[in-house]
Amino acid sequence: MATLHVVVVTPEKTAVDASADFAVVPLFDGELGIGSNHTPLIGKLGHGELRLKSGNETTRYYLDEGFVQVRDNQVVVLTGTVSKVEEIDVKAAQEQLEKALAMVPTTDDEFAERDRLLAEARAQLHASRRHF
Amino acid sequence: MAKARALDKRRKSIRNIRKITRTMELIATARYRKAMERATAVTDFTQRITQVVADLSSTGAEARHPLLETHPTTERGLLLVLSANRGLCGGYNASIVRTAVARYRELTQGTADQPGLELTVEVSGTRGNSALRYRDITVDQLYRQFDDQPAYAEVEEIANVYIDKYVKGQIDRLDVVYTRFVSMAKQEAVAETLLPFGALAEESASEAVGEVDYDFYPSAEGILAEIVPMSFRAKLFKCFLDAAVSEQIARMVAMKSATENADDMIKRLSMTYNRARQSQITNEIMEIIAGAEALAK
Repeated sequence: MATLHVVVVTPEKTAVDASADFAVVPLFDGELGIGSNHTPLIGKLGHGELRLKSGNETTRYYLDEGFVQVRDNQVVVLTGTVSKVEEIDVKAAQEQLEKALAMVPTTDDEFAERDRLLAEARAQLHASRRHF
Repeated sequence: MAKARALDKRRKSIRNIRKITRTMELIATARYRKAMERATAVTDFTQRITQVVADLSSTGAEARHPLLETHPTTERGLLLVLSANRGLCGGYNASIVRTAVARYRELTQGTADQPGLELTVEVSGTRGNSALRYRDITVDQLYRQFDDQPAYAEVEEIANVYIDKYVKGQIDRLDVVYTRFVSMAKQEAVAETLLPFGALAEESASEAVGEVDYDFYPSAEGILAEIVPMSFRAKLFKCFLDAAVSEQIARMVAMKSATENADDMIKRLSMTYNRARQSQITNEIMEIIAGAEALAK
């Protein structure tokens, strides 16, 4: 069975360059599993967890929006920031969540900002909780 | 006596300066390597974005994003100048300031069919800041946190502010003055217009890679619209990295020639010093001989 070649690129560096049997990427509206010989796709990513499964081992990363391109068993993830799930600052995420919940938005922009902060904080907390 | 000693003193101090410039050259070389690595990484990133854009536009999708649209009237602009925090890097800051001032004049004075802009000036690096102030240009914002390794998170923050301002119509164009890294031997100060963002279409026209039937989540147009701010951020980040790399190269070159000059000076001084010492010895011997002769009589 062909394996996937997964590359995660940020503007600062190529963060991940690995092969995996199965990958899960956080699309903007939910997670998407990618097996070998997946149909070519380009998708928008939301905040969430990227999981790479290779044999019995699963590596988890946290992504902060971006894009994914799948083609010929190549998974290319373009994102602003990527970190290992273990490196998530749970306390900061919790604070951000509380702060976002306390916001009282009145305009569309403020609503969007609050939603973004909420989604980010929740995704971080979710990813870190799964880890422990 | 006094002359030889003075020469020796001078030679010693030049030797010390040479040590310093030599060290600075080595430091700049090390920093340049690191900065270069990062610049390569961002090139990789932008290339991949370009490829995605090319694939997207081969489906006939058209990007629609406020960043791509030229505002009906251009009244307010923003000029971002990327200079260094420190000097001792040859003509680096001077050429940046020269380019910045030229672009500033051009934008504020306007032409026959284009009235002058109301310009906000933002500067990264204290050197550019003081140079512009000296030329009576008000600097509205100074960033000094960027050194040889600008962090993406920090640049992203600034980029987001610009995107926000442009979308809300607070600025109608954004110009960046920075030193573009062309090659190891060539870096040039350039003024580039980053907003309205025009590069997306130009780059994609050149290299559409084969026909692949992609699935799009959500849709080709939706992704293109999302990719615009991202590639803008990457582009701004690239400007910062280019500036950082060029600064290190400029410092390297400046310090190298400073070291070489010091070498020359030491050589020349050594020669004069030796001559002075020689003539001093000759003088002393002559005095002794003269004294001895006087006594013998």
